[in-house]
Amino acid sequence: MAFLTPLFLAALAGLAIPVLLHLIQKERKNVVHFPSLMFLRRIPYQSVQRRRIRHWFLLMMRLAALALIVLAFARPFFRRQDLGAAASSGAREVVILLDRSYSMGYGDRWQRALSAAGDAVNGVRGQDRGSIVLFGSGAEVALRSTADRSRLQTALAGVESSASTTRYGPALKLAGSILGESALPRKEVILISDFQRSGWQGAEGVRLPDGAALTPVNISDTDPANMSVTPVALQRSMFENQERVTITAGVANHSNAASSVDLALDLGGRVIQTQRVSPAANGSASVTFEPVTVAEKNIRATVKLADDKLMRDNAFHFVLSPEPPVRIIIAERSAAARDTSLYLARALAVGEAPRFETSTRSADAMTAEDLNAASVVILNDVTPSQAAGERLQRFVERGGGLLVVLGERGSWPQSGELLPGVPGEPVDRSTGVPARLGALEYGHPVFEIFRAPRTGDFSAARFYGYRAVAPAAGAQVIARFDDGGAAMLERKVGNGRVLMFTSTVDLFWNDMALKPVYLPFLHRAVRHLAGYREPQPWRSVGEVVEPSSYTVGRTATELPRVVLTPKGERVTLDEEGPDVLELTEQGFYEVRPLNKEKDSGTAVVVASNVDLRESDLTAMDPQEVVAAALGHAGRVAAGEPEAVPTDQAQEGAQRIWWYLLFAGLLLLGAETVVANRSTV
Amino acid sequence: MIGSGAIPGARFVDPIVLARIGNLELVARSVVDGFINGIHRSPFFGASVDFAEHRGYVPGDDIRRVDWKLYARTDRYYIKEYEADSNSNFAVLLDVSKSMGYGSRGMTKLDYGRMLAGCLTYLVHRQRDRVGFVAFDDDIVEHVPPSAKHMDTVLHVLDRLKPAKPGGLRAPLHKMAEHFGRRGMLVLVSDLYEEPDAVLEAIGPLRFRGNDLAVFHLLDPAELDFSFTDPSAFEDLESGEQIPIVPQKLGDQYRELVQAHITALTERFSANRIDYTMVNTSTPLDHALFSYLTTRERLTRVR
Repeated sequence: MAFLTPLFLAALAGLAIPVLLHLIQKERKNVVHFPSLMFLRRIPYQSVQRRRIRHWFLLMMRLAALALIVLAFARPFFRRQDLGAAASSGAREVVILLDRSYSMGYGDRWQRALSAAGDAVNGVRGQDRGSIVLFGSGAEVALRSTADRSRLQTALAGVESSASTTRYGPALKLAGSILGESALPRKEVILISDFQRSGWQGAEGVRLPDGAALTPVNISDTDPANMSVTPVALQRSMFENQERVTITAGVANHSNAASSVDLALDLGGRVIQTQRVSPAANGSASVTFEPVTVAEKNIRATVKLADDKLMRDNAFHFVLSPEPPVRIIIAERSAAARDTSLYLARALAVGEAPRFETSTRSADAMTAEDLNAASVVILNDVTPSQAAGERLQRFVERGGGLLVVLGERGSWPQSGELLPGVPGEPVDRSTGVPARLGALEYGHPVFEIFRAPRTGDFSAARFYGYRAVAPAAGAQVIARFDDGGAAMLERKVGNGRVLMFTSTVDLFWNDMALKPVYLPFLHRAVRHLAGYREPQPWRSVGEVVEPSSYTVGRTATELPRVVLTPKGERVTLDEEGPDVLELTEQGFYEVRPLNKEKDSGTAVVVASNVDLRESDLTAMDPQEVVAAALGHAGRVAAGEPEAVPTDQAQEGAQRIWWYLLFAGLLLLGAETVVANRSTV
Repeated sequence: MIGSGAIPGARFVDPIVLARIGNLELVARSVVDGFINGIHRSPFFGASVDFAEHRGYVPGDDIRRVDWKLYARTDRYYIKEYEADSNSNFAVLLDVSKSMGYGSRGMTKLDYGRMLAGCLTYLVHRQRDRVGFVAFDDDIVEHVPPSAKHMDTVLHVLDRLKPAKPGGLRAPLHKMAEHFGRRGMLVLVSDLYEEPDAVLEAIGPLRFRGNDLAVFHLLDPAELDFSFTDPSAFEDLESGEQIPIVPQKLGDQYRELVQAHITALTERFSANRIDYTMVNTSTPLDHALFSYLTTRERLTRVR
């Protein structure tokens, strides 16, 4: 038993106060007027009897209350050594949890962590058994429950810190399961970590077995300073038919002092630009580099900071590739007016990500070459010829996208074969109340972005006419008019898709082209038909990449593949092994088909970056983890001497003073009641 | 002993209730009337026709006073003599020292003494005797000379009395003795906080002039049973002196001392043929009056 502020114990002298109150004050304050002291004066004065205490119980209550309050102020606590000495003896099952997230690379933390782990291993003696669990965002058992100390030391020898983030939950769960399987009487977890606040997302359902002890070994630094490069922003533009990218990079300063650092842009292994950036204390700043021309695929780009104590977050990798536009053919009637597709062409000319490249053709004049180069064909109120229809069918089956816009003339030579519905007679809604779009399939990719409130009001558009359409088998109606008629239908054909809009996309049958939803609606429809996916110039460590999702041209890279990791290791992905790639390192991964290793045109480069949550080194109180894992605060086993927290931390965790103060106040309350009753 | 229950028709009214009436004359009347109605006759009533003795006839005596019946039996002339039939003087000497201002149950000893004085004065006034009054502490505070017309004055003076100063018996009583030249009856009402011998010495001059003296010793119930419980500082009402007291420890000794004091006073007064009555102020006033007067009547017969 020890006290944090023992000087307060001097106040115990105040215990004399109630005694004096009992013996002196009470008599002096009570004055009785009496006619004459003639007889009383004759009686011998008995001082001893005058001081007799009558209300012993009351006095004891007052003394106890005061003593409890004084003790509470002295902040008593039990030292960990005391608890350890009192703990039961017997063989221990020790699980050493070693944090190897990349924040452990700060300064000499990793060496200290290894040293602490070595000490913990040395503490495994006699019948004790030890396990080593390494954890970052996930946890893995390096060595499970062995009494062989040399094996434990060997297991520690080859361990390196990783590029992952910290998460305590999985590690503690794994430790709990190892302890749960053990038959040894004493169970202990030694958690060696820098206790980053970002790694703790509440208890996560972690609970160590009853009787288990958790000893935190905190190797964090006081007031750590760290700078990290934040994700870049890429702004694409066209300049003289070449794509240029403007790169904006940022720096986050996780320290209490403002700083000024150089930020370098590295393209393909060469530093091409350097900019000075000055983030404020605990702030961030950004800088924009001069635009660079992206002439070839898979340019490896890195934004770098000068070295500091934590290296891993000083570089941000990404991949620059020219982004080809989505090529669209707008097919019209051969005798159509010039501005037939005016609204359509203008709307598609606005796109930047992706860019749309439109060309207008007569429906019957589309050649096979035209279709090979295009991703999407829009039939704007036209009935193609039999030959054109067949070409279009092949185009769609190959993976192309077809948008059929029905006006008065729109139809198909072989109805029902390709289209999602059979166009019928026009419905005239020009008299009375015009039709409106009533029910939209917000789960569909075309309408998904309009799901949230106030993101697009389709009901504002008035439809005076549309074609009645009977949906074909396998087609899905994704939008309906208010009278239940189909407004938009979709059908998958081969590798491609066909969308049918049953009204016009100009002002002939409706005024939708004048409404704000017109442009995003068309863009979404075309992107969906083109199978467009936003490029991901970078990914994060811990993500799983499906190389098959990366396409070269219009076809996916085929198995088997070879992956070249940032460390230079070769990993083969084939049908027998895994066909997904988990990013565990920081840097560039390169994926190629096995049989075309020399052909750089078929390679896919994936940039992998560390999670920046980990670069915020703010530490938490280890007792928070202890309390959550054990279900109560302050119960830890006697660990290594340096593992014992400070007196303040121990006292703070035990909080005995609170109970003492509460008991003291309770006693004072009871004393008031008792005193009132005994003196009435 | 005549108990309260043995007196038919007597209404023993609590003095505290009477004190609330405020009009002292009314209070006296109601108490005394009730008392007279109860026993039908007062020992004072008809005192002037009481037979005293026979003496031999000497020439010059009024022959109407010759007891002819005795002459018939003895063949000698005897004259029949009676007690003086003139009006007598009556005065109450009331102690108004600070100690008389004590009352543990809402009524002080002075209030009680005031009513006692008022009752006696009223009683005597009804007998056409002259009534007077003296209030004193360590000196004479108020003095109403005896007169048949001073009944209202006495009651008025009684009404405005207040305990103001510490008391003493010797000086004021010795001074008073000079005023009462004519023989009469004196009633001393006091708490007698002095040694018995000193009390006797103080009232000596009053007696020597042939006055008939009665003493009412007023004590509050708290002074008699000392029923205090909490240890306290006891302050003398007259001197202001304080003594820390644990009542439960000293109570027995105190009660013994008080009883010894009363016993000593009783013995001293009895030996000097002075009527002494100890009155507990918690007893009803007419009860106190009745017990005194009946005792006095019996004693008078014995004398």
